[in-house]
Amino acid sequence: MALDDIKHIIHRCFRCGYCKFTHSYSEFNCPSYNKYRFETYSAGGRMWLIFGLMNNELQWSDNLANILYACSTCGNCVENCRFVKFNEFWVDIIEAARAEAVKNGFCPDKQKNLLERTTNPEMFNPYAEPNSDNEELKKEYNLPDKAEWVYFIGCTSNYRQKNLRDSTLRFLKKAKIDFTLIDEHCCCSPIIRTGQISPVKDFMNYNVEKIKEAGATKVITSCAGCYRTLKNDFEKFGVEYDFELYHTSELVKKLLDEDKLKFTSSYDKTVTYHDPCHLGRHSGIYKIPREVYKKIPGINFVEMKRNRENAYCCGAGGGVKIGYPDWSVEISKERLEEAKETGATVVSSTCPFCRTNLSDANDKFDMGFEVIDLIEILDKLDIEIINNELKK
Amino acid sequence: MNTDQILKDLQNIVGKEFATNSPEDLYIYSQDPGASLPRPVDFVVMPKTTEEVQKIVKLANEEKIPLVPMGGGLTLSGLIIPVRGGIVLDMKRMDQIIEINKLSRYALIEPGVSTGQLLAYLNEHHPDLQPAIPDAPPSATIAGNVLIHGSGYLSQKYGDHGAMVNGLEVVLASGEVVKLGSCAVSHYWFARGPIPDLVGLFLSSFGTMGIVTKLSVQIFPKPKFREIVFGLMKDEENIPNLLLEITTIDFIEDVLLGKQDKPEWMKGYIFFMVYITGDSQEDIDVKLKILKKTYRKNGARYMKAPQKMIDLYIEKPIFASGAADFRKGGGFEYVGANMPLERIPEAYRRGAEISRKYGIPPTLGSRLIGQTHNIVMFFSYSFNRADPDDMQNARNALEETNHLTLELGGIPWKGELGAQKLVLKKMDPNYKKMFFNIRQMLDPNGIMNPGNWSEEEN
Repeated sequence: MALDDIKHIIHRCFRCGYCKFTHSYSEFNCPSYNKYRFETYSAGGRMWLIFGLMNNELQWSDNLANILYACSTCGNCVENCRFVKFNEFWVDIIEAARAEAVKNGFCPDKQKNLLERTTNPEMFNPYAEPNSDNEELKKEYNLPDKAEWVYFIGCTSNYRQKNLRDSTLRFLKKAKIDFTLIDEHCCCSPIIRTGQISPVKDFMNYNVEKIKEAGATKVITSCAGCYRTLKNDFEKFGVEYDFELYHTSELVKKLLDEDKLKFTSSYDKTVTYHDPCHLGRHSGIYKIPREVYKKIPGINFVEMKRNRENAYCCGAGGGVKIGYPDWSVEISKERLEEAKETGATVVSSTCPFCRTNLSDANDKFDMGFEVIDLIEILDKLDIEIINNELKK
Repeated sequence: MNTDQILKDLQNIVGKEFATNSPEDLYIYSQDPGASLPRPVDFVVMPKTTEEVQKIVKLANEEKIPLVPMGGGLTLSGLIIPVRGGIVLDMKRMDQIIEINKLSRYALIEPGVSTGQLLAYLNEHHPDLQPAIPDAPPSATIAGNVLIHGSGYLSQKYGDHGAMVNGLEVVLASGEVVKLGSCAVSHYWFARGPIPDLVGLFLSSFGTMGIVTKLSVQIFPKPKFREIVFGLMKDEENIPNLLLEITTIDFIEDVLLGKQDKPEWMKGYIFFMVYITGDSQEDIDVKLKILKKTYRKNGARYMKAPQKMIDLYIEKPIFASGAADFRKGGGFEYVGANMPLERIPEAYRRGAEISRKYGIPPTLGSRLIGQTHNIVMFFSYSFNRADPDDMQNARNALEETNHLTLELGGIPWKGELGAQKLVLKKMDPNYKKMFFNIRQMLDPNGIMNPGNWSEEEN
């Protein structure tokens, strides 16, 4: 989406402020409004600034770019804006405005690194790590070249949250899923969110091609960011695919529903679930992970005050983690403080970004939680697989 | 004005991150969602404490810089857009709910507490109590609402929201802090008197008398059951009699009336929504029967309204901002005319004529304030924010409606600068003189939202 495409919408934001709140108005649920507090930093404020830009009442500046980039694109505004005819576009508009910032030379330096690293042919990931073609992992886990499923690991799990990756690999093996890995390049979520969209389509086409080469008809990912990008953004960029897409929690739920999976040991801890924005508000998946947690023997599953559509962002999204590292962790701290109120000792999520940022806050502020992904919990359990037809 | 130095001084008072003069921030604070043209702002500052407000006021006095306090910024009539530049004080960091007194039924709060915040807080912690909130979005502040003589929920039963102010803490232009209401004598903020009532000086004066830093507002028992009884009436001449009879029945919480051309089935009718409350569904059913009978007797008929509509109006607050998208334009503004009941039928007729004259589909409504002591009449005009001519058209319609309001014996509520001037023109000269004298005494340097309630050219 380009800014020109939203000319018929942008002026329709009334700046009424519903976008700042939870459903019940109990709290301001927009991380950047919570921090900066000027109206400028609410979703409505940003829409009015973009309108001002489009009308030439405002000019690009570093400060304007900063206002646009200090948004974790968590989607709370989309969720709470009452103008149902066009509220779905708010995050797309932020991303389109960032693309305009990039065009005009106002992408902040830290976010620029994401593009440089991702397009570096030695890397193809935003973490500046040498690209892994995943052949070592294939050998280690004895994976075929062609299979029904591709596990799309995602850069964060492959280069930072390796335990999340390895837990997923072990789980898929235990579940007897017929899967393989590809020499994947970044799904492009970080560069899409930060408006650096020039190489995106090529990257998407590359990954689709690799999945096709692997003969897969199904793709599973343990990353909520990759999931959202594959589910929503590929279509927006005009890239088609014909495989089925699963988040790990969806596969686990399916196996449980079909009585193909049983947990045979227990996890005797009090756990609260943090909804990742990518999986929750952006993909509409709230119930599935909860149903999986609740099936785990021994678990005491508790909810934070803000949950599901009302969940508070962990602060890692939209390029905020790289652009504003200290603030980003403070947002997670606020989330962990909310988790404290539940009595939980474990904060669990289904997204490697959330896991990273919540862990960082947990360590930095000595919050005393165990921060762990759902799939890592499942990896600790003994499981029984019964007549799994999915393995074909 | 030494802009850099003043910014530094403001940042020293509130912290670097809460004072700004960046073009982007000033752009946002130079306009509101209504039809007013933007006006320049020099600084925006967000104080956290009364002491910080005092320091800002002292600085403004020394530098002779105008001060404009702002809550949610949702009056739509540009009251928080400076007329002569200066500092906008966005009060929303002063957001503490200090005390809920369950026995004397008041909430002592800071001025940045939003209506949504208080509503949610009471729902969670005191589910048997409810606040009086306006039809504005939940980001409107309680202070902003009561200080403009707001109205909305519970207005029919308990009066306008300005009447629900028990007391205020105000920073005067001198920098002194004054307490008004029972809190001036007692440590309870339970009532406005019985002492000379100066609270009124700060209501509808739009920040020209001082900056409110604490306030106590009445809160009310919440009934267990609440329902809307919808009705339609063909002839607006029947409105006064119907309302007199309805308000004779003592279980009516709120009454809303309206006239609009869409949806089609509403065209040509006055619709009314009467909010009834009770202890049980049986209680509600009995009251419903009584109301239906009252409707029939007064030329109206009960109608089972579409559930979607009922849901919209039973929700607190009503999504009144939806009016902004009636013409896919993102804006609306209304004249909120406080009117005597006897002129309401004519107001509906002539309001619709003005709408049609300006090519805007009529959207008229009204709310009862304290039985029939006052009716707030809404003449609403939607406009396209992207079209300057359409915005001018709305401003013209608003101006003509202000004239109509005064002609009919009403008074524009929270009016934009033009409306204020019209009111002053018609005001008893000695009232006006007294008002200006008090203002001169409190604010000799004229720093408190100057240009508002002013006869001078802006």
